[in-house]
Amino acid sequence: MPMLQFDPVQLPKAAEALRHEVRDFLATNSDRISAPNSDFSSGHDADFSARLGERGWIGMTWPKAYGGAERSFFERYVVTEELLAAGAPVSAHWIADRQSGPLLLSAGSEEQRARYLPAIIRGASFFSIGMSEPGTGSDLASVRTVAKPVAGGWRVSGTKLWTTDAHRNHYMIALVRTAPADGNRHGGLSQLIIDLAAPGVTIRPIRNMAGGEDFNEVVFDDVFVADADVVGEPGNGWSQVTSELGYERSGPERFLSAFRVYVEFVRLVGADPERSEAAAVGRIAAHLMTLRRMSMSVAGMLENGKTPNVEAALVKELGNNFEKLLPEIARAAAPLSRSGDGGAQARFRQTYAETLLLSPSFTLRGGTREILRGVIARGLGLR
Amino acid sequence: MEQMLADAAERIFRDQCTKPALDAAESGQFPARLWQLLCENGFQLMALPDSGAELADLFAVLRVAGRFAAPLPLAEALLANRWLGGEGGDRTADALNTVALVAQDGNPQWLDAPWGRAARRIVGVADDGAVFAGKPVAVREAFNLAGEPRDQVEVRDVRPLPCAEPPLALLALARVAQSAGALERVLELGIGYAQEREQFGRPIARFQAVQHMLAMVAAEVAAAGRASDAAVAAIGSDRFALEVAAAKSRVGEAVGLVAEAVHQVHGAMGFTHEHQLHHFTRRLWAWRDECGSEAHWQALLGRRLCALGADQVWDFLATSS
Repeated sequence: MPMLQFDPVQLPKAAEALRHEVRDFLATNSDRISAPNSDFSSGHDADFSARLGERGWIGMTWPKAYGGAERSFFERYVVTEELLAAGAPVSAHWIADRQSGPLLLSAGSEEQRARYLPAIIRGASFFSIGMSEPGTGSDLASVRTVAKPVAGGWRVSGTKLWTTDAHRNHYMIALVRTAPADGNRHGGLSQLIIDLAAPGVTIRPIRNMAGGEDFNEVVFDDVFVADADVVGEPGNGWSQVTSELGYERSGPERFLSAFRVYVEFVRLVGADPERSEAAAVGRIAAHLMTLRRMSMSVAGMLENGKTPNVEAALVKELGNNFEKLLPEIARAAAPLSRSGDGGAQARFRQTYAETLLLSPSFTLRGGTREILRGVIARGLGLR
Repeated sequence: MEQMLADAAERIFRDQCTKPALDAAESGQFPARLWQLLCENGFQLMALPDSGAELADLFAVLRVAGRFAAPLPLAEALLANRWLGGEGGDRTADALNTVALVAQDGNPQWLDAPWGRAARRIVGVADDGAVFAGKPVAVREAFNLAGEPRDQVEVRDVRPLPCAEPPLALLALARVAQSAGALERVLELGIGYAQEREQFGRPIARFQAVQHMLAMVAAEVAAAGRASDAAVAAIGSDRFALEVAAAKSRVGEAVGLVAEAVHQVHGAMGFTHEHQLHHFTRRLWAWRDECGSEAHWQALLGRRLCALGADQVWDFLATSS
């Protein structure tokens, strides 16, 4: 079965050299990583993003014409995995770098690229995803936010939900209905760039179960969007949005979210562990080594211009399940005692608790586990 | 080379590893015809240093053998010949040599030998990796839970053999590669059965519950295959034993999930002796415990990482490509 074949990837020398640059940078900027968290949507730090932009590590695969560095997917991979492993705050620029920029490059107009990409690359312009709605989760084609044509543009009304960092970011790329479905529910959808500071936009934070206020409800009340901010042709939104999801599903953020729990677990068990503790450390490592290789294989397929949708779904299925399994393995093996609550034990408990409270989101965001299993089943010829 | 050998092996296995042949082997009867065909095609010599094949090619062939549940001790025979080197004896005859591990009671005279009953010579491997040769003089027949002969063999005339490679890791890698192949077959059986079996007027593949089980299985099988490939690619490197440890762990974990789910998909039919599924799932269950269980290899890998320390763990992971 070709979809189960993940060919090995050898990172180019330039990527390995870059790894050391990133580590030096992280050491220099350790003051910004006081509470390391490997979850990519924890830690919105505009200043840190600006520093990354200064180094050329945002939009680094993009054309030089817009300020990019035209570096390879592998180099980007190394930068992102190093940032995540260190638990750096990357949420601010993450979506713009991973998703919005590439979308503009593949489907956007020249004017949009020239207008938006340079600021993203500088780490000064942040984007949110506008897909989910109160009545729209996995069934993305059911979106009800409507854009009506007016002179020079569109008027948008509706509500987007679970919009991460909408209250801190500058723009949302929203999937909206610009024409009635007329039998084909995938038709009549379009992607619009919406300025989150525009009149008529109301952003209400939603507190999550971990106590954070990262995601939001965003209400559009007759918000004007110029024709120039339609991404691609009106009505082409569905095919754009589905190809965008391929980029979203197989990166290191899909298996590293709980990585800091592992680091603190190794610290806790120390240099001379019991056999069961050592086995837990080894078991987690075996998962990580395999997942990283599979994820890099998909990066290799993307680099070669392929569209590995099923392979990406397989990586996300495995990676997200593992992100939930990791804290469970560590917890079961951790040598915790009631008396010992200083140092390594306290750090482990804190990191474990933070990650556990975020963990329900791991198999929801970017396509639920159940939707991904459907994608895989289709690839297997079962539906 | 690798693909050519694997294709040649596949033709032989496809032809020979029939359900009756698998049943016969489980009754203790050595598959002489299969072994003879492999010998005629030179496979018994492929792991010799001067064979022209890479050691990696051996594991490609073992993966194919796993896909067909080939009922003979191929890894043991080929590695025994490798470690016997020039002492392999008559290279053209179809006599079988096998590798045995020192039995758990620690008595070096009684060895745990796959197909010891059919072996001409025994190459023993001790817990510390020491390799020696011996002549079998007595056999107590025994089987693993897959019905593969795992005999207790008494050996005489024991003498050490030079071995410049880690024999225990290579044996564990053999089980990894065989398992990766058998896992692929089990997935295929699951997909095939789900598409053909009808209930409520439609193939059970149309039911989401079944689709999700098989999607999970596919993901595990893909991970096992990638882990196996990575360990094979590490042959000769200073990380080899650690890569084998990761692969044995990851593949062993996949085995439990995959066997459980694909049996569930097959319903009662897969629980019958008549169906072929159990030839693969029982082997997978046996192999995950042979040559070091997951826990054994996890502890080995984990100890190394703990010795490196928490702040070096990432570097270890990131430099294994």
